[in-house]
Amino acid sequence: MSKWYGQVIAVNNITFSIGEGVIGLLGPNGAGKSTLMKLLTGQLRPSQGEVTMFGERIWNNYELFHRIGFCPELDSFYERMSGAEFLAALLQMHGYEEEEVAKRVDAALETVKLTPARDKKIAAYSKGMRQRIKMAQAIAHDPQVLILDEPLAGMDPVGRHEIIQMVRQWGREGKCVIVSSHILHEIEAMTSTILLMHNGQVLAEGDVHQIRDLIDKHPHSIYIRCSAPRKLAEAFVGFPDVESVKFHPEGDGLTVESRKPDDFYGRLPELMLDHEIELEEITSPDDNLQAVFHYLVK
Amino acid sequence: MAESRSLKKGWRDVRTIAYLTLDTLFWSKKTLFVMLLSVVVLGLAIVGRVVLTFNLVPTALPSSQVFGTLMATAVIRFLVLFVTLFYGTALISEEVEGKTLTYLFMRPIPKPTIMLGKFLALTWIGSIMVLPTVILSYLILYLRSDMNPFFQDLGLLGRDIGIILLALLAYGSFFGLLGAWLKHSILVGLAYAFGWEGFVAVLPGFTRKLTITHYVQSIFPHQDTLGALSMLMGERTDPVEAIVTLVLLTTFFLATASLILREKEYVLEQ
Repeated sequence: MSKWYGQVIAVNNITFSIGEGVIGLLGPNGAGKSTLMKLLTGQLRPSQGEVTMFGERIWNNYELFHRIGFCPELDSFYERMSGAEFLAALLQMHGYEEEEVAKRVDAALETVKLTPARDKKIAAYSKGMRQRIKMAQAIAHDPQVLILDEPLAGMDPVGRHEIIQMVRQWGREGKCVIVSSHILHEIEAMTSTILLMHNGQVLAEGDVHQIRDLIDKHPHSIYIRCSAPRKLAEAFVGFPDVESVKFHPEGDGLTVESRKPDDFYGRLPELMLDHEIELEEITSPDDNLQAVFHYLVK
Repeated sequence: MAESRSLKKGWRDVRTIAYLTLDTLFWSKKTLFVMLLSVVVLGLAIVGRVVLTFNLVPTALPSSQVFGTLMATAVIRFLVLFVTLFYGTALISEEVEGKTLTYLFMRPIPKPTIMLGKFLALTWIGSIMVLPTVILSYLILYLRSDMNPFFQDLGLLGRDIGIILLALLAYGSFFGLLGAWLKHSILVGLAYAFGWEGFVAVLPGFTRKLTITHYVQSIFPHQDTLGALSMLMGERTDPVEAIVTLVLLTTFFLATASLILREKEYVLEQ
């Protein structure tokens, strides 16, 4: 299938089929992941070709949504509703009776660990909680296919870990989970099967380890915002995995380049604790992934 | 049996969508503006009452004439138009801008149900915003020691409320259609409401039948009391024909809006 907007090709001649288990959709920002997800969920109609789920065309086939759950990337909600009200309203549209709706709301909130905040307005939720409630609405009707667009974006490390475990569990239970990210580590933690996208095309499909080998040949950049960037940089001197450290002009963070990101991430928490440095944010820009894509395209 | 279950589910879906839509529509800046407009209308009613009480015009005016003028100008050509324009064009665009449309489209409900639910919300909020103003205006203009006119004209008030509801439906569905179809629907709506309808009203012949206002005015009960204003309204369509036309227009606009919602791809920008 292909999808284009005027002269711009968003998804270019992609063919694939997915069964049970978790599949990771990996690619830098602008690769076409979100467009592909919208095509898979029938929000967009392919310009050419077809998207089918359970053997049926998805476009305008609303009955299929009994079996599909979607967690959008966009951080948007009916802000004045509480988490429980939001879930209940959406579940009612699946045709459940009141009692069943209440049961499913409780179960979904429990799964994403939001029960204590069930009656709090969504507007007052933290970024992580908003991500969780988005996940809850995707899973509350127990769909067979779960499509998760950047589900770990903006989550704290504990939240990330929990969501990763959930995704893996759903895959083990025999659900089909399609999860997108532009960060290899995230995908790798959830599945070893990936679909690598770049410029609207699928560059590679298969085992993540092959991609990992390619990525390890390129330095991996990690941005860290913390309470004492200079102290942290000093501590990195002893890190064999660190290639370079750059300070940010704002003075509140630094970017580290590493060829062994796994080792780096493994040691980082201990280092922070030892030096009593408070971690505010850690992100991995996709520059290194971009380098791999260039390498693959060549 | 299966049919009645499906109808029951359909109605529940419509109500749920209406509930979600009401939440979005009501708590917006539009509501503040519409409330302000209602206050303006009530202010005009108070001015009318002062004129009546202190006989500030040379010829004695009955309350019904002041009330009729208020309904024809401030309520139908002003309040109803703004309420339906603001809320109607926002029915879909608000969800597109707020990026919440995905949550509705990812549910096992047909898109016409979504449109119907949203239209129900528009009718509710429109009624909540307009009808109390109409009733309060009536009370302001009619409450006095001689209560005879108050009771005599209650039927007229009932008819006015019915006409306002019909106008809310017709204009609401039209602006709802524009909102589902166009990106800058409010501008097109403004051009229609205050450009096209105003322009065509002064043209002779058939063209004025190409406006919603023509049919609304055709069933307006105050024609005998409006004098010059009534003349400006021009030739009327038979009231029954006008009511049927308004109902048909509402159905047509709603069906077209549903079709657009079904076929259009809404790109929710990041």
